[in-house]
Amino acid sequence: MKKKIKNILLGTLVTSTVFLTGCNDFLKEEVFSQLAPENYLKTKEGLTSVLYETYAKAANMNSNNSIYVLGPQEFMTDVLYQSGDNVEATIRNFREFNWEPSMDFLTQNWDSYYQCIRNANIVLENIQNSNLPASDKTLFEAEARFLRAVSYYKLYFFFGSVPLRTSTTQELSLPRASEEELKQFIIAELKFASENLPNPGAELQKYRAHKAAASGYLMKFYLNTKNWGEASAVSSQFLNSFKKYALFAEYKDLFKVENENNSEYIWVRPAIPSADRLTANSWSNVSFPDNFKSSPETGLMFKSTWLNWPNEYRIYDKFYETFEVKDKRKDLMITYYINTSDQRVELKGNDNIRSFKYWPDQNHVGASHGNDIPEIRFADILLSRAEALNELNGPTAEAIQLVNQVRTRAGLSALKLENIPSKEAFRDILLTERGHEFYNEGHRRMDLIRTGKFVSNAQERGKNAQSHHLLFPIPQVVIDSDPAIQQNPNY
Amino acid sequence: MNRNLAKIWLAVLLLLFSINALAQDIITGKVIDAKTKEALPGATVKLEGTTIATSTNQDGDYSLSISNLNGKIHISYIGYISRIIDVSDRKKIDIELDPDVSSLDDVVVIGYGTAKKSDITGSVASISEKDFNKGVNVSAEQLIVGKVAGVQIVQSSGEPGGGISVNIRGMGSLNAGNSPLYVVDGFPIDNSSTVSGTGANFTGMRTARNPLNSINPSDIASIEVLKDASATAIYGSRGANGVVLISTKRGKEGGLKINYDQYYGVQNIMNDLDLLSANDYKTVMNSLIDAGAGAASLKIGEFSGGTDWLSQMYQKDAPIQNHNISFSGGNQSTKYHTSLNYFDQDGVLINSGNKRYSARINLEHTNKNFKFGTNITSSYVSDKYVANGFDLNERAGIIYAATTYEPTLSIFDKDNNYSLSKNMNIDNPLAIANGKTSLSQLYRTLGTIYGELKFLKDFTARLNLGADITSQRRDTYVDRQTIEGRANGGIASILSGTNNSFLSELTLNYAKKIDKHDFNVLLGTTGQQFNFFDQSSQGSGFPSDATKTDNMSLGDPTRFIVTSGRSRNSLLSYLGRVNYNLSEKYLFTASLRIDGSSRFGENNKYGIFPSFAFAWRLENEELIKDLDYISSLKLRSSWGQTGNQAIGNYQSMTTYTSGQKSVIGNQQVSTTTPNRVPNPNLKWETSEQLNFGLDYGLYNNRITGSFDWFVKTTRDMLLNLPIPRTTGFTTMMTNVGSVRNGGFEVLLNSRNLTGLLSWETTLNLTWLNNKVLDLGGVENIFSGSAGGTSNVAIIKESLPMYSFFGYIIDGVWQVGDDFSTTKDKVKPGDFKYRDLNGDMVVNASDRQVLGSPFPNFMASLTNNFSYKGFNLNVFFDGVWGAKMLNNNLVDTYFPANLMRNRLSEPLLNRWTSSNPSNEHPSFINPLGQGKKEVNNYTVEDASFLRLNTVKLGYDFSINNSVVKGLGVFVTGQNLAMWTKYKGYDPSINPNGGGVRIDWNAFPTARTILFGVNLNL
Repeated sequence: MKKKIKNILLGTLVTSTVFLTGCNDFLKEEVFSQLAPENYLKTKEGLTSVLYETYAKAANMNSNNSIYVLGPQEFMTDVLYQSGDNVEATIRNFREFNWEPSMDFLTQNWDSYYQCIRNANIVLENIQNSNLPASDKTLFEAEARFLRAVSYYKLYFFFGSVPLRTSTTQELSLPRASEEELKQFIIAELKFASENLPNPGAELQKYRAHKAAASGYLMKFYLNTKNWGEASAVSSQFLNSFKKYALFAEYKDLFKVENENNSEYIWVRPAIPSADRLTANSWSNVSFPDNFKSSPETGLMFKSTWLNWPNEYRIYDKFYETFEVKDKRKDLMITYYINTSDQRVELKGNDNIRSFKYWPDQNHVGASHGNDIPEIRFADILLSRAEALNELNGPTAEAIQLVNQVRTRAGLSALKLENIPSKEAFRDILLTERGHEFYNEGHRRMDLIRTGKFVSNAQERGKNAQSHHLLFPIPQVVIDSDPAIQQNPNY
Repeated sequence: MNRNLAKIWLAVLLLLFSINALAQDIITGKVIDAKTKEALPGATVKLEGTTIATSTNQDGDYSLSISNLNGKIHISYIGYISRIIDVSDRKKIDIELDPDVSSLDDVVVIGYGTAKKSDITGSVASISEKDFNKGVNVSAEQLIVGKVAGVQIVQSSGEPGGGISVNIRGMGSLNAGNSPLYVVDGFPIDNSSTVSGTGANFTGMRTARNPLNSINPSDIASIEVLKDASATAIYGSRGANGVVLISTKRGKEGGLKINYDQYYGVQNIMNDLDLLSANDYKTVMNSLIDAGAGAASLKIGEFSGGTDWLSQMYQKDAPIQNHNISFSGGNQSTKYHTSLNYFDQDGVLINSGNKRYSARINLEHTNKNFKFGTNITSSYVSDKYVANGFDLNERAGIIYAATTYEPTLSIFDKDNNYSLSKNMNIDNPLAIANGKTSLSQLYRTLGTIYGELKFLKDFTARLNLGADITSQRRDTYVDRQTIEGRANGGIASILSGTNNSFLSELTLNYAKKIDKHDFNVLLGTTGQQFNFFDQSSQGSGFPSDATKTDNMSLGDPTRFIVTSGRSRNSLLSYLGRVNYNLSEKYLFTASLRIDGSSRFGENNKYGIFPSFAFAWRLENEELIKDLDYISSLKLRSSWGQTGNQAIGNYQSMTTYTSGQKSVIGNQQVSTTTPNRVPNPNLKWETSEQLNFGLDYGLYNNRITGSFDWFVKTTRDMLLNLPIPRTTGFTTMMTNVGSVRNGGFEVLLNSRNLTGLLSWETTLNLTWLNNKVLDLGGVENIFSGSAGGTSNVAIIKESLPMYSFFGYIIDGVWQVGDDFSTTKDKVKPGDFKYRDLNGDMVVNASDRQVLGSPFPNFMASLTNNFSYKGFNLNVFFDGVWGAKMLNNNLVDTYFPANLMRNRLSEPLLNRWTSSNPSNEHPSFINPLGQGKKEVNNYTVEDASFLRLNTVKLGYDFSINNSVVKGLGVFVTGQNLAMWTKYKGYDPSINPNGGGVRIDWNAFPTARTILFGVNLNL
C-alpha cells in the first residue's frame, strides 16, 4: 500500500516537472507559415520580395483598383461619368461634388501608397545590414526611394500635403508635413532616383524602375506645381538623355496588350490577367454597353467569355464633339453598337459613348484583362514641355513643333505659330489637346486644376464645385486613426 | 415505572435478537417509478439503523435478509425521493418512488469535478435531458435555447446546421470572441471552423456552419452553463465568456437497455418576403420611368408569364429525419453506453442540406480504488451548400438574386438557357442554385481516457488525456451555367484543413469531513496544444464541367492558385480550488488558475485568475427552519476574474507573410509583406464579475427557482485599435478599454398540478444591459457592412457595443413644404431626413444612435402537461428591445439601380402627387440625397414572441419481456411568431458577431415532426 502511494506521488511529481520544465518550450510561439524578420530581411531574397510588394503597392492594381484609382481623376471632369450597379451611389457623390470624408474610393487612394512607403522604409532600413552586394545596395536604395517618392507624389496631388513618414521607427502619430517640406522631399528623392537608377532598358527586369521614369515624374511634379522653369529644364534633359523613346505609330493600337513593349510607354501600372485579379485591368468590363455584340466602327466583336458589367463608364457627348473630325484618337470610342438581338443601338446622343482605349484582351481571365495603364508616356513629355515653354515664353516654334508631333500622329494638321494669338490661347489649345490625347489615362483632373479650369468647368456643367474641391477630403478612417492629422478645409 | 418499562423493552429486544440470530426472514419486492411504472434497477434497499442493504436487479427486484419484520426499510435511488417504509410483518413489499423534481441534491458537473446542487456557491444552470428542447436539434446549443436565464442563443439563419452564436451574460469583447468555452466530458474543445472559406466565386453565410454539429445531441445527458466567475475562474483565460459543460450519457447498473428514437418531419418556410409581382413590377417601374426615374428605353413592354423567383428557391416539404439507437447498461464494475446516430436534413432552400453519422462509446470500469474509462465519439458530417450570402453581382447568392431579379423575366430564354437580366450583373437565381455547387465532408473524433485512483482514504488522483481531431474538405465548383463559370471555363476549388488539439491533465482531490467542517480541495495542472493546418487549391479553364473538382489537373496550368498554412498555440495551466462547508450553513469556495498562453507577448505570458464565493444556506438556520413553506433558501455571492485569449495566433510578433502580387518582368510574382505592428505587451482580456444570487424552494419544493444579479466588467480589451494609417497598417492588437455587462436573471419552476393530470411551468426572465465604458482614447469605431451598406454600427463610450448609428427619417417632403429650410436638393416625394445640427445640410454629422443590437429583456415560458399516457410540452420564447438592420429594406429604398425587384409594400404605397404619403418616398431619385441607408426605417425592431415548440406525445403502457416502453410524438417548431419585423425572422443574425444585419438570410423553417421512441 505504502509503495503504491509512493509510486503515485512520484508519478505526480514527474508529470508536474515535465510540465514545468517543458513549459518555456511549450509556450514558445512557433511560427510555421510566416517568416520571422530577423534573418529574412538580411537576405537578398527577402529584401527583393518586400521590394516587389513595394512595386505592387505603388501600382495599386488589385481587384478593381485599376479603374477606381483612375476613376476619381475623371468622374468629376468633362470626360467621363459612371452609372449603374452598386457603385453608382458612391460615384454619384464624386460626379455631383457631394464629397464627404467617408465616401468610397478615398482609402483606396491612401492606404496602398502608405503601405508602399512602409515597405520602402523597411527596405531602406535593412539594406545596410543585408548580404546584398554593394552595387545592389545602391540599386535597391534608388528603387525604394523612387517608389516612395511616387507614392508621396500621388498622395500630394490627391490630398494635399500629407504626413511625411521616412522611417518605421517614427512616432505612430504624425501630423501633416508642411507643403514646402513635402515638395522638397519629393523633388530630392526623385533627383536621387534619377541619378542612381539604371538607364531605361538596363533595369534588371521589365517594370522595375529606371532613370527615365524618375525623370518623367520629376518633370510632371514641377509641371503640376507650376515650376515651369524646372519643368522645362527637366524635360529638355529628358529629351536629350533618353533617345530611345518615340511616339508609337498607331494611336489606336498603342494600348493593346500585344503592343505593351512599345517605344512610348515610360512608366506604367502593369497588368497581367489572373484568376485572383490582383494585377488586373478592369476597364473593359465597364465599357461594354448592354447586350453588346459588336461595334462596326471599331470591328470589335464580343467574345463570349468577356464580362459585361452593369457598372458603366460613359463618355459625355460634349467631350466627344470637341474632337476634330479627322482625329484618329476618337476611333477608340464607339457611338453606336449592335446588340445581341442584332439591333443597332445609338450611344451618341445619350451621353453614353463608350471608350475602348484599353482594347479588350483576348487572353483575359474572367474579369481580368492585361492592358498596362500608362502613367507617363512620351506624348506627355512632349506636351508637358510645350506647356512649360508656353508658360515661360508664350507660344514658340519649339513648343508648337512639340504639339504638332502629337497632332500628326493623330492624323491632324499641324498648328501654325501665326494662328495662335496668345499664351492663354495656346494654354487652351494644349488643354484640349491633352484631353484628346490622355482621356481615360487619369490625367484630366490635374490638367484642369493646373490650368485653373477645374472649378469653372464643373460649374459650367451645373455642378456644385467649389475651390476646396481642388483637394479630396482625407478619408475619415485616417482622421479617426490619428488626431494629429487635420482635415482639408471645408470638409 | 419508567425504569421497569425500559427493562421490559430490553428483555423483549434481547429476545428478538436471540430469535433472529437463529432465524432470518427474507423480504422481497420490486422498486418502480411511481409515474412511469418502470422498474428501477440499482435502487438501494437498506434496513434502517443497520448496514444491512441490497440493491435491486435489472428488473427492479430485490431481496433482503433481515432479522426483524418490525423494522423499517429505507429505499433510495438517485433522482427520486427516498422513502422509509414500515415492514410491519410483510414479506413482500413493492415500492413506488416519486421522481425528485426539485432535485436539489442532484449532482451537477462543475469545472474539474462535480458537486451537490445544494453545495454550489456560484451561478450554474443545469439542464438535463428531460428539459432539453423538443424538436429538431442539430447541435448541443439548440438543446438549451431559451432554457437558461442570461444566455442568448442566436442562429445565424435557417440554414441546416448553420452557425449559432451563444452569449452568456452579454457580449464583452470586440475582437477576442464572445463564444463560451465548450467542455465535452472534461475536454475543452476548440470550436473554430476547420475550413473557413467557401471556395472561389461561391458566396456563403458570414458564419460558418456550426462545428458543434459533429457532437450527437442524443448522446448528451446534461448541459451545465457556468455563468459567474466563481464557476468559471477555474477555466482561467478561457472563462470570460462563460463555460458550457456537456456531459454525455453513461451506462447505468442493470441489464442491457436498447433505446431507439426516430423522427421524420417536413419543413417549410416560416415566413416569406412580399415582393412585387410581375404585373405590379411592370406598373410600378413604368410609372417611375414616366416620372423621370430612368431612361424611357428601360420601360417594360409585354412579357409572358414572368417568374416568382423566390418561390423557385424554396424546397417545399423539405424532409428531415433522425435515427438514434443506443445500447447501455453495466454491472457494479463496468458500465457502458454506446450509440449510433443518423441525421439527415434538407434545407428549405433547394440544393442545401446537412447529414451526420456518428457513433459513441462511453466505458467505465471500477476496480476497488481504481477507476478508468473512456469516452470516444467519431462522426462524419456532410454539408451541402447552396450559394447564398452577402456577396454582390456575379457572386450574388440565390436569395439576393431572387429578391432582385425582374419578376417579368421567364426562367429560360428563347434558346432554353437560363435567362439573364440585362439590368444587373447577377446570374439567374436558378443558374446560381444549379451552377454553383459546394459540398463539405468533415470527420471528427473526440476522445478522452481517464484513470482515477483513490488513496489514503481521502485523496483522489485523476489523469485525463484527450484528443480532438477534425479534418474537413470542401469542394466547390462554379460551372458554365453562370457568368463567372463561363468567363473562366469553370472554377474549381478544394479547401481542406485539419485541426487537432491534445490535452493532458492531472488533478488531485482531497475530501475530508471533520465534525461540522467539510473540506474539498482540488489541485491540478493541465496542458493543451492546438494545431491548425490548411491547404487550398483553385483551378479554372477546364475543357468540360464534367469533372468538377475531381481532376484539377485538367485546368489551365497558368491559373492554378495554391495556398497553405499552419499554426499552433498552447496553454499551460495550474489550478486549485478549496470548498469549505461549515455546518451545512456556510459555504466557502476559493479558486485560482494560473494560465500561460503562447499567444501573448513575452512580457505577459502568465495570467492569474482568482475567485471567491460565499453562500449561506438559510434553510438550515433555526429561524427559517420554523417557516414551513420554505423548504430551501440559499444566498450566494461571488467575485472573480476570468480571461479571454481567443485572438489569432502571433499577434505579439512581427512576421512576414505573403503580400500583394506584383508584376515584374512580364509575370506575376509573389511578394512578402509585414503582418502587423507587434505588441510584446499583449495579454488576455480580464473580466471581473460580481454576482449575488438567491436560490429558493417553497412549499416542499413545489416552487423552486433563483434570482441572480450580476455585473461583469471586461477590461484590457483586446482591441484592434486603429493606429495612424500613415504607418501602412490600419490596426494594432492592443489591450485597452472596457465594457460592462450587467443584468438580472429570474428562474421560476412551479409544479402547478401533481397527480393524474400534472402541470409544470418553467419561466426564465433576463434583463441585460451592455455599455462601453472606455475605448482607450479612440472616439468612435465604426463597423458592419453588407452590400453597399457600410458603417452600420458604432462603438463609442457610454453606448451599448455595436449600437446602430444612422439617420432619422421624419417623413416625406410634400408639395407645400418650406424648402428654404434646407440647402439639399430635395423635391416633394423625397425622404425628409432630420437635420440634427441645424446647418440646413443633412450629412454624416446628422447621424445618431438608432438602437442597440442587444435585447434588454428576454423571456421564455415552458409548460409541461401530462395526463395518463399523454404529455404535452409548449414552449414560448421572446426577446424585446433588440434592433436589427434589415438590409433587404435597404435594397428596397436605396436600390443599386432602378430595374430591380423589391419589397412590394413601400412601392405600392409610394408617394405620388395624388398619394402624398408621408411614409414612403416617391422612389424617383432614391440616391438623390446620397447614401443614407442606415436609418430608422431600415434599422428595425427585432423584438418578437415566438411559439417555439409544441410537442404532443403518447406513451403506450406496454411493459413486457421484449418491449419496455413505446412512445409516439408529434412536434411542431416555429409555429407562430409575433413581431413587427419585416424580414424572414427577427431572431436570427446572418451577419454573425455583434453587428446584427439581416440580408439574404437563409429562411427559417417551420417544422412538423413525427417520432417514435422504443425501449427494449
